[in-house]
Formats: sequence, C-alpha cells, structure tokens
Amino acid sequence: MDFVNPALLAGAAAAAAPIILHLVMRQQPRHLEFPALRFIQVRQDANRRRLKLRHILLLLLRCAAVCLLAAALARPSVKASGVIGDQEAPVAAALVFDTAPRMDYRHQNQTRLEVARDIGLWLAGQLPPDSQVAVIDSRHGEAAFQVDLGAAHDRIKRLETVAVARPLVETLEQSAEQLRKSELERKELYVFTDLAQAAWKRQGTSTLAQRLAKLDEMGIYIIDVGVEKPQNFALGEVHLSSEVLPRSRPWTLACEVMATQPGARVVQAYLVDSEGKPQKKGEDTVEADPQTPRPVEFAIGGLETGTHQGYLRLVGSDGLAADDRRWFTVEVKPPWPVLVVASSPSEARADSLTRALAPPGFRRTGQARWDCQVVSPQQLGQQPLESFPAVALVDPPPLSEEMWSKLHVYVQDGGSLAIFLGPSAQPPYNGVGGQELLAGALGIQARFPDGNLHVVTGNEQHPMLARFRPLRGSVPWDAFPVYRHWQLEPVEQAAAVLNYSNNRPAVLERVVGKGRVLTMTTPVEARDVSDDNRWNRLPVGFEPWPFVMLMDQMFQYLVGSTDGRLNYAAGETAVLRIASARQFSTYLVTTPRGDSFRQSADASEQSIVITGTERPGNYRVRAGGASGGIDRGFSVNIPVEASDLTRLDEQQLKQIWGEADFRLARSREQIDREVNTGRVGRELFGLLIAVVALVLSAEHVLSNRFYRERAQQPGRR
Amino acid sequence: MATAEKYLKPEVIRQIGRLDLRAQFIVKGFLQGLHASPYHGFSVEFSEHRKYTPGDNPQDIDWLVYAKTDKYYIKKFEAETNITGYLVMDLSRSMGYTYRQELTKFDYSICLAAALCYLMIHQQDPVGLITFDEKIKSSLPPRSKRAQLGNVLSLLSKLKPAGETAIAKSLVQIAAMLRHRSLLMLFSDLLADPEPIIKALRRLRHGGHDVILFHILDEAEVSFPFDGVVEFEEPETHAKVQVDAGGFRADYLAEMDSFRDTYRRECFQSGIDYVALDTSMQFDKALLEYLVNRQARY
Repeated sequence: MDFVNPALLAGAAAAAAPIILHLVMRQQPRHLEFPALRFIQVRQDANRRRLKLRHILLLLLRCAAVCLLAAALARPSVKASGVIGDQEAPVAAALVFDTAPRMDYRHQNQTRLEVARDIGLWLAGQLPPDSQVAVIDSRHGEAAFQVDLGAAHDRIKRLETVAVARPLVETLEQSAEQLRKSELERKELYVFTDLAQAAWKRQGTSTLAQRLAKLDEMGIYIIDVGVEKPQNFALGEVHLSSEVLPRSRPWTLACEVMATQPGARVVQAYLVDSEGKPQKKGEDTVEADPQTPRPVEFAIGGLETGTHQGYLRLVGSDGLAADDRRWFTVEVKPPWPVLVVASSPSEARADSLTRALAPPGFRRTGQARWDCQVVSPQQLGQQPLESFPAVALVDPPPLSEEMWSKLHVYVQDGGSLAIFLGPSAQPPYNGVGGQELLAGALGIQARFPDGNLHVVTGNEQHPMLARFRPLRGSVPWDAFPVYRHWQLEPVEQAAAVLNYSNNRPAVLERVVGKGRVLTMTTPVEARDVSDDNRWNRLPVGFEPWPFVMLMDQMFQYLVGSTDGRLNYAAGETAVLRIASARQFSTYLVTTPRGDSFRQSADASEQSIVITGTERPGNYRVRAGGASGGIDRGFSVNIPVEASDLTRLDEQQLKQIWGEADFRLARSREQIDREVNTGRVGRELFGLLIAVVALVLSAEHVLSNRFYRERAQQPGRR
Repeated sequence: MATAEKYLKPEVIRQIGRLDLRAQFIVKGFLQGLHASPYHGFSVEFSEHRKYTPGDNPQDIDWLVYAKTDKYYIKKFEAETNITGYLVMDLSRSMGYTYRQELTKFDYSICLAAALCYLMIHQQDPVGLITFDEKIKSSLPPRSKRAQLGNVLSLLSKLKPAGETAIAKSLVQIAAMLRHRSLLMLFSDLLADPEPIIKALRRLRHGGHDVILFHILDEAEVSFPFDGVVEFEEPETHAKVQVDAGGFRADYLAEMDSFRDTYRRECFQSGIDYVALDTSMQFDKALLEYLVNRQARY
C-alpha cells in the first residue's frame, strides 16, 4: 500500500489524544458529603463494570476515528508509482510497441500497429508536460528518450512492423533500463501488444516471470490492441529438397498451410524469370484445418544452371498479409569437377568412389552432381589442380616430395583434398610433405577380422554430417563392417569428424591454409580380394546408400557447398560462399524493396556476408556484369512464429507476469482509468472517509445513548 | 441564628392563611363536612360578619347585630377543630445537608413546620413539637395560643441537626408518648432502613394517629447532578464510595425512585399522607398544593 501524503500518517498519533484524555483527565475524585450514599452502594459494582465497558467502547471508537481519519488524509492507495507528488508531475514513460509482423493484422480496416499508434499518440498527448518519453519498438538497437513530446509523436507516427522482432521481454528490460536512468520519480512503462503467445513464450515461464518481476518498481500498463478471434491463413516454413542441385535434377518445394479456421485456399508457386517477372509454376488447393497444418508440395523441373528465386503465395486476402508469401532461392550448378587420383588400374580402383559420386544413370541424364576425372599418381604432376575444387587420393602410394608440395600449395590456396588411406600407404608418408597434409602420422593397421567394427554417425555436429543427423540411429552402418584401418596419431590442427565404433577416428579433418584436407583411415575400393586382405565392405555391402551419402557429403563439404545457405530467417546473417577464382572486390546487393547497396567480400573467407536481412523477400547479389560476372541470391522469410496470432488470455498473462504487477487496458477510457489508479493507486480515501463517518456516527449514537440517559434523568421526579 | 421570623415569610402566611388543616378523623362519618362538625361552637372564634343571603343557615344569623342595625348578618367563624398537632422533626445530621440550595433539608422542614404551626394555631388547634435523633431530643407540649408559634420556632431555630438517627425507634417512642389521638406531621429525609420505619409508622396509625409524612430530600439527592469522579461520604456513618457520578446517575435515580415509591405505596396502604418534597421545590407552593389536595379529599 502506498500513501500520497505519508507524512499525514503521523496524524494517527492523535489517536493517543482520547487515551491521554482518558488517563489524564481522570481527575482526582472530588470529595463530597452525600447522605443518600446507601443508594449508590447498592448498584456500585454493576455500574462500574458497565461504565468501564462503555468507556472502552467509546475510547476505541474515538481512537479508530482519529486513526482512520489520519489514514484517509494520507490518501492511501493500493498501488502508486510515485512516492510523493500530484498526478500532474512529469513522468518518465517508455512506450513499447510490439512491432512484430503480427501487428500488421488488419481488423476493421486498421492494422494492430495503426491502432497502437493511434492510442500511443493520444497517450503521449496525455502525459504531463516535461515528461520524458522513450518510444521503443521490437527492432534491435539502443533505447533513448526522445528529445521532447513532439519528437515522440513523430517517432510513433513512423513506427512500422519489422520482420525481425526481438522477444518482447528483452524490449521491456531494455525499456526498464532506460527508465531507470531517468531522474524523474515516477516511471511508467506502456506496452502496446496484441497479446500473442508468440511474443512471450520464447523461453520458460519461470525465467520470464523472474525477468518481469524486476520491472515491478514502475507502473506497467499493457495496452491490448489485439483482436479476440483473429482469422488468418498462413504459409509455414518452405522446405526445399535441396538448395543447391545439379542441372536437370528434379526438385521439390514443400510448405504447410496453417489456418485459424477451416476453409479452402489456393497456393501458387512462382519462379522469377531472368527479366524479373514471376512465372507461375504450380497451383494447388488446400483444405485448411485449424488443428493440423496441411502440407502442399510442388515439383519443379527443368531448371537451368544459375540462381533461381521465387515465392509461394496464398491466393486471397486475410487479416495478416505478411505470412501469405514465402520466398525461396535455389541454385542449379553444373557438375563439380573432381580429380580422382588412383594407382593403376586407376579407373577400376577409383570406381567405387566415382560411382558413389556420379552414378552412371545420373551421368547419362546429366543429373550427376560430380564430374570425376580419374588419373594415376604419375599423371598428377601434369594436372592443373586449380581447376578442380576437390582432389581425391584413393589409396595413394608414397608420393614424391614434389607431388606433396604441389598438393600442399593447392590446398594452401583454398583447394580441398580427400585422402583415402589404404594398403598402399607407407611410412614415407611420414615425411615432411605428407605430414603437412595428412591428419597425423601413420601408426599401425588396426585389424578387426570378425567384422564387429563399423562407422558410427550420431550426435556429431560437423556440417559434413548434417544430413545424417536427422537419420540418427537408423543408418545401418553395422551392415558395412570395417575389417582394417590405419591408426593415426593426429596432429594438433586435425580433428576427428567421423569415428568407428571403437571410438577411433574414421575421417579426420585438417585445415591447411585456406583449404582443408579430409583423411579417411580406411580405403573406398571394392577390390575383389581375399578375406585376409579385405579392408571394409563400405562400398560393396547390400544397398550401400550410407556410403554413397557419406561420399557425397564429404565432397560437398570439401567444395564448400554445405557451408552456404540460400534461405534464411529474417535477421539472420546471410553468407554466400564465392569460389576463389571468381572473387570480385565489391558486390551489389539488391533488396526485396528494389534498392541496392554495395557490399565488399570477405577475401579471407571467400564469402560475402550480408547482415541487413530484416526485410523478407528475395535478395540478389551481383558483380562483374552480365557476362562472366556473378549473379547469386538468397531468400529471407519471417519466422513462422512471428505470424502466430494465438492469443494469451488474461489468466495466462498473469501467469507469465507472475508477481509483477501490471494493468491491462483495451480502450482509451480504460487506459485513463488504469493510469489514474496506477499513478495514484486505487484511492482508498473515499472508502476510509466512509468508514470514518460510520465510526463517528457509531460513536455519536453510542455516546448519545450513554449520555442522553444521564442528561434526561436529572429531570425525572 | 436567624430569628423565627425568617421561617415565616408574609407571602407564605398570606398564601396559607385562608386554608385550614383538618384531621381526617374529625370528619369521619359526617358527609356535610365542616359545618356538621359535632364540635361546632365548642371552641369557636369569631372571624367576621357578612350579609345574609338566602340559603345561609338561619341559625348563623347574628341577632345582636340585627337588633342594632336592623339588618341580617351572618356570623362567620374560623374553622374549628380540637385536633392536637405534633410537629415531629428529624434532627439527624443528614437533615443539615444541602448541595446547592439555599435551604438545608432541616431549614426547609422548619419552614414547612412553621407554616403548618401557624396554620394550626390560626385555627385554634394546639400544636406541639417533638424533635428526635437517636431518641426524642426535646418536645414542646401542644398549645393553641398565639405565643406557641414563637415558642416552636425559637426552639427549632436553636436546634442543630447533628449526630446519627434512629427514626423507627424514635417514632415508637413518640407513639408510646402520645395519649390522645393526634395529628403527627413528620419531617424527615428517611435515610435509614425503610422497613422498621414503615413498621413504626403503621404503629402510629394503629394508635389512631393521623400521620402526614413530609419526606424531604435535598435537590441533589433527587436529581444527582454530579459529574466526574466523586468520592461520596456519608455524613453520619462516614462510609465512603468513589464513583463516576455521570455514569452513575441513571442507577442512582432508579434506586431513589424505587425508594420513594416504596414509601408512597406503604403510606397509601396505611392511610398515611406521604408528601415527597425536595429542597428545590418552593415549599409554600408545595404545601399549598398538598393542603388543597387534602381539603378536596375530606
């Protein structure tokens, strides 16, 4: 409980007055002669008791009246944001606007943000003069007080939704921090929100409540601008079968349609052509169901080499337009050239690897991702390595130092090398040249003739194994035993990427200069050898899809295809990897709005880093002109939860806020009332005065009853 | 001490001069009242003449006057009686009490007694005086001479109410002392146990005496005007009680009422005239009222 005039509480001390009067005014008894004493003696005891009771009762009532009066004058309130001061004293107010995309929900021809803006403008006008106002939205950034109320008005008018909304609680904390900096006594935090669950429920409720409880020192007003029962259809996250795909490879695009109410909706898939015009590639009707999202899938084929961008669109209008479109980018690439070095007979020995990378059926239809060129170690010297993004050494025999150093230079400059150690590996590997590339010094050959050793993929976080992660536990590696492998003593720069079931490394990675080297400790040949000489059954077991997938991922990782993503959530940093051969110093980034800005490439990382991805849509990155230049792109979508309109009810809100006290208002009148009660608290003055009146009248009635008897009776005869 | 005159104010005399005090036993059995008194002419005293008017008793025509003036005159006589009155005065110390009145209960009693004495002597009745505290203290034999009033008053003015009292005992003594049926006018505050007093009063009545009980209390004893904490002391026994007087008033008054009611009831049953007075009442008016009432009754 707070008091507007706490000093007046001291007035309660006046309650002592009746008590003191009672005690002090108990005058010394007058001594009187009185012959009729016998009549007094008769009733003395009963009278004394009754009188004492009356005295105590009256005394209590009088004390209570004084105390209550003092309490009433101190103007107690259930809650007050200020200590002393009148209602017109300036306040430090933070107007926090939730500007998540949800706030664009249109109802009665007004978006939620427009409603919030209107109320915000009105509210800013209501604030006492000289108040400090900070207008804060969901954008990441520093909060600051506006220069004056006019600036606050302008700021409110310019508010718009952002695709990257930070959690509301963070905004609140930042606003509270800003308010604490103010020297003004009274601090008020106004939160304009549509009360969507998504704004609050990004973390555990208890942590949230703890964080919110710290705001309790100030008056918190939640202004609900949401709609009780929003109606909306939304497209979920876009799933591409692959972001980078070889030419002619069929490609699918999937998405989910979510709805707050049942109804049929048409989803269309568009691809933007070279002239920038959208071309419809598919259309499907979906029966939306509020309970379960309905999937929709489009198969799009015949994509030419290059970057393709497009979008999915929900036909028809609904309350929230922000989630009716989802953008995507896909890159169609020519097959990556891979140089496979294998001892004679080279083709045969490299066959397992080349078949895994580029199956003959794909090669024929032009869908193969890899273009393998097989050479013998002797031919390696003549090969222009820089034209191959990756080189594979399949069971290489000891190479000359010259060869090693050529490979070393190649890797140093950003090339990638895969070494599959096999029976031909010899200690000369441990020479200077070999050791600069290998993940470690060759040790012994570990043998497991019982076939109880196999590769294990589990929780590895390495990007090379990203595709295996969803399949955890269901990859039948034990059907492909490894009988023998080299044991390496890894150098410091090397790290195991993949292990055997005995926890020994199967694949190790070593970063050398700008490039990287993957060393596999068991070969990938399917040679017909005796049981004693066999190394593993990885490529030859029944349906060896895990091996094919592992090789594909290994080489994708080596050529850098797995590091770069083309589809991002708004606010994420987009990284486009650029082949070293095709680097330009600056690139022109075109945003979905159509405006462009220049972005320089990070030469050491061979990538372009773009942080300004707040706006959902398709981004284009170009350099070097139409011929010989680069034309890449990526897409940005708002997170699915950013358009989730499911509302919190008041109970849930209270649960989230825990012990923190807040006031919820929906209309201006409610705000007015809540702010009044919040500023001065809920005044108990009226109530107390009523009680004082009651007590006083009780006192009056009682004393009248007691003393009227006395006053009347002298007249009796 | 003031002279006896202070008790007999001329206006009082004027007021009561035309009244008479009649003993009820005198009129018993005679419906005609005064004029049918069997004692008529026995102790007469001429009062005045007035012209005869038809309807007057022709026996009352003064023929001597007729002989001299040739007119009919009626002889008017003072009311006659031969009742012996006794003024019985309580001399207890409590009678000397007053809280805020001019007269103490004793003074008030004397005033009343004087008036009554005057009235009795005026109608040629002998009046005596008996004072008592624990026993009979002094007495004046009844006389009807005019000097008797002076004697009575001078004796009363010499007396001082002091000491304790035994009303019942004294009344019994008085009853034994009186040989003829008399009119006893008792002046007391009766502040003692009522039961023996009532018994003694009954005994007086039984002895054929006519009793008028003037119950005289101080105004403060009737209205209890005190406030605040007061320590009361009984003047005779010196018992003390400390009370919050303001809060006690109701209780006190209830007790006092019941006390007076007891006497009123008992006296009524015994045929005693009970006259409750307090010192704030103008005694002449009170007396007049009483006498008029009594006259109406008999």
